[in-house]
Formats: sequence, C-alpha cells, structure tokens
Amino acid sequence: MNIKTAFSINETAEQSVDEIAKQFEMFDTELVLFFASTKYMPEKVSSLMQNAFPMAQVFGCSTAGEIVSGKMLENSIVAMAFNGQAVKDVKIEVIENLKDENSVKKAFESLETYFKEPVAEMDPEKYVGIILIDGLSGAEEGLMETIGDLTNVTIIGGSAGDDLKFASTNVYANGKNFTNAAVLAMLKPGVEFSFIKTQSFRDLGKSLEVTKANEEQREVVEFNGKPAAVAYAEALGTTIEDAPKHFMHNPVGLFIEDEPYVRSPQQIKGSSMLFYCSVMEGMELSLLEGTDVIGDTRTAIQQAKSELGNISGLINFNCILRTLELRQNGLDQAYGELFSDVPTIGFSSYGEEYIGHINQTATMLVFK
Amino acid sequence: MAGKIRQMIDSIITQRAKDNPMLERVIKTKLILKGINPNKYTLQSEDDPVVLGKLEKMIADLK
Repeated sequence: MNIKTAFSINETAEQSVDEIAKQFEMFDTELVLFFASTKYMPEKVSSLMQNAFPMAQVFGCSTAGEIVSGKMLENSIVAMAFNGQAVKDVKIEVIENLKDENSVKKAFESLETYFKEPVAEMDPEKYVGIILIDGLSGAEEGLMETIGDLTNVTIIGGSAGDDLKFASTNVYANGKNFTNAAVLAMLKPGVEFSFIKTQSFRDLGKSLEVTKANEEQREVVEFNGKPAAVAYAEALGTTIEDAPKHFMHNPVGLFIEDEPYVRSPQQIKGSSMLFYCSVMEGMELSLLEGTDVIGDTRTAIQQAKSELGNISGLINFNCILRTLELRQNGLDQAYGELFSDVPTIGFSSYGEEYIGHINQTATMLVFK
Repeated sequence: MAGKIRQMIDSIITQRAKDNPMLERVIKTKLILKGINPNKYTLQSEDDPVVLGKLEKMIADLK
C-alpha cells in the first residue's frame, strides 16, 4: 500500500491531528494532503498537521464538508498520506496576491529551478498539479488561465470552503495558513494517474448567448440581447421571481466537445444575473437540467477503474452545490458509499478546477 | 485587416500541442474557456483587438 487515508471527528484540533498521526504510524509518509472543517482554527490546524509529520511535506485547505472512503462528513479532518513509491517527487508553492500575475510566474520559476526543466516543457504524463485556492477570492479564473498559459501539465483542485459561513477560507502549507492565496503542489507520481470530471446535467436544447457581460464581476447583463434574468426565466418557462428556485437544478453550461463546463447562477441583481464563475461575452451557453448525481458518479468511478485496472487513491473536489443537493435528497451517505472500496479523501468546495474554473462538478485525481 | 486571429490560434496549437491530439484538445478547451472559440474564426474573420490581445499574451507567456 502506497497511499493511506485517515480521518478524525474529535472535538479539538490537537485530538484530531493526534488521531490522524496515529493512523499513519508505521507508514513511510513523504507527503500529506488534508482537508479540515473550520471547526478547527486555521492557524492551529496547519501548524499541528505539519508538526505531526515533520519529515513530510504537508498541505491542505479549509472545507464545507469532508469526504473519506465510504463517508460524507462534517466537522472533521480527512487526510491522505503518500509514500515515495506513490509520489516520487513534489514541490509545494504558495501563490500569494492572487490577482498579481507575477506571483504565479515567481512560483513557476521556483518549480523550474527545483525540477530543472522549463514548466512549458514538463510532460503532462509525468507530472500533475494539485491546486487549492482561497474560495472567496473570486480570482480562480484568472489564476487558472495564467497557469494554463504557462504549462501543459494538468492542474486539478478546488476552492477552499468555510462550512457555508462565507467569511474566510484558508489554504495550508508549510505549517502556515493563507488567505488571498493558492497552494500549488506539483507532483511527479510514481504510479499512473488519471482524472474524473463529472457533472450530472442534460442539455435542454435552449441556447443562451452572452451578449453583454461584466466579466470581472461574474455578471451577465444580457442573454440573447435581452436582460439576463428575463431571458433565463423565459427559457425556463417561469417568472423572474420564481427563477432563483431553479438555480441549483437548472444552471447553464458551456459545451466543449459535448462536455458541459457548468456555470452556476448565484443571484439575480436588478435584471442581471451573477454567477459563481466568470461568463464571457460571446459565449454560447445552454440551459441545463439536473440528472442523477449518484448514478453518474458511480459510472465515472467504474470507468476510471477500468482504465487504470485498480485505484490506489482518489482525491475528490466535490462542489458544495452537489453536496447540498445530495443532503436535500437524503443521498449524502449514498454518495459517500460510492467510495467505500476506494482509498478516498475529498471536500465540498466553493468551485472546482480542471483546466479552468467550473461549478457544480466533481473533479477527481485518481492514482493507480 | 482579417485572418490574424485564425493564424495566431493555429500557431499556438502547433507550438504547444506538438502533434499530440490530447494536448490539442486541452489547448482548444483553454481557448474556449477564455472566450475564444477556435471554430468561430477563419482566415476571413476580422481582427478583433481584444481577442488578439488575449492571444498575444498566451504566446508571450510561452516564451
């Protein structure tokens, strides 16, 4: 076994970290990834986790719910430990001041120095990046675009949560906690790896072209030349007043090769619509309708198993809106059980990253 | 002027994907997420300065 998982629901950070450290005893831990509820004070949990594994590199973030093999949790810490067989090498960078492109470039220069090759030349079959971003920064699109311009390596991850308080989300590295920051871990796995991007929606065949947008504010002013809220409500066959009730079940999607990149509405402001990720002028979006999260996720995991032969570890960045829908429908434990026989950790995120920034999706990194 | 956007898109895809079809798909996805759909541009498309600016930045970041 090259990857191990652990969790704790103890009351204090000290007790929980201690319990996790005990579960990784006798394991040759070189890298630890952890996701922690904001029940545990950010500055304390990051330092305790690093101190518990002084010989390992440790990183993580705050959450809005956690996932571990077989369970969806709240108010817990979940952790995954990797030995040197699973991850041959890793370099963790903290990117501060997220809207400053130079911060990203500085981090990438450091990666180049460490790995002794240009990031633009790094082989995406040998390297993978895990990114955890302050989930209240509103900076994910710009950050992912800049990173995507600099490298062909696939970067996957999620935006940190704070148990739906929407006050402060934290990322963790080197025993410290950071806001307005991202942690990027560039891994050179020793085993094959793959990705899952799954969302449960069907195309209703109703097109909404963004004809006017305030991209920085994630605001769509007009769809199809009409006030955005009017066009969205018309497409649904409902009123503007009723439209927000449909947001979770009927987001919109940008289709790329028959695959939706979901954009979730957040609120109606005047006659405009605010989204949880950026929507650009000229984009042709489609109205979506929710389908079967459990069934689709099960299929996606089975496909990954067939592709790799077996799964030794899975990291799940699962949108908080999916989690809320699962809870509403009493399906959260059924979702956790999908991962019963797969060493898994994950968290409910305020946004998902895979190539770009997306919503209402689960992005997963899967190790053979 | 026309056609510069198509030329720059082709140049970016060629330079970055190096004939790898998987990378070609990823780069096209990155472009679409930036609001630049490669399928919409031909050698007859007008040179929109906003789109050209985004593509120039992508090329500069590669160097």
